[in-house]
Amino acid sequence: MVKKIAVYGNYQAKVPIKQRYWIKRKDGIKQRYWKKTKRLKKVTMSGRYEFHGKGKELYKAVVKAHHIVPKGFIDVSAERFLKEPEEYGFEGSWIDRDIESR
Amino acid sequence: MTETSNPAKPILGYTDTETVKLDFDNTTFRTVKYWALKTMKQFKLEGFIILKSSKNSYHVVFNRTVSWSENMSIVAWVTLLTGFEKLSKWLIMQCIKQSSTLRISSKIEKPSPRIVYRQGKEKGQICNFIYYRKLIKNIIRKLEST
Repeated sequence: MVKKIAVYGNYQAKVPIKQRYWIKRKDGIKQRYWKKTKRLKKVTMSGRYEFHGKGKELYKAVVKAHHIVPKGFIDVSAERFLKEPEEYGFEGSWIDRDIESR
Repeated sequence: MTETSNPAKPILGYTDTETVKLDFDNTTFRTVKYWALKTMKQFKLEGFIILKSSKNSYHVVFNRTVSWSENMSIVAWVTLLTGFEKLSKWLIMQCIKQSSTLRISSKIEKPSPRIVYRQGKEKGQICNFIYYRKLIKNIIRKLEST
């Protein structure tokens, strides 16, 4: 079975602010929608990568994971992550904040 | 919660489904050793190692390869008998993730776990654990030197 390296913790990243707006539907009901704006806000979140693969690829993936923080819980092979890191995460920085065992 | 000005790093750990692992917090070494021995005998787990992660915090890794359902059943048995709240929290987290993880790298004010006790066979999952531990430690060393 697969053995994995877990890379986890808290991070800070800039994410687009979502704006709320209302549209009146044909049936008369006002429906709420959200749209992504270009404005960014700094948020603190937690996330986790789980990498599997060969030693060299694992090393490269862990190095890359220091700058590209995960979009939630990501279970991916190191090779695939190295090919398309933006698909699994976005730019941000990890922060030292006490996190419980996971 | 504490934050430092140094560039922070993520925590690195070892994850799999077929190794029985236990995470004891706020527990003395004597108690950890007692429960590790009892679990090993009860489920014929062949051997175990104890790692000290910080003061009164220990990790236990067993040798025999098990299925995920057997793994969780063993951890649940220990949790039920010991009644340790932190262990039950850890168990719930592992059930949600569907794989169990133990920390290898250091954490804020906590050094990386070190082996303090060995008993029984080590050629099964303990061998795999030690291999990955070395791999992760090498990665950390390389990262620190660059």
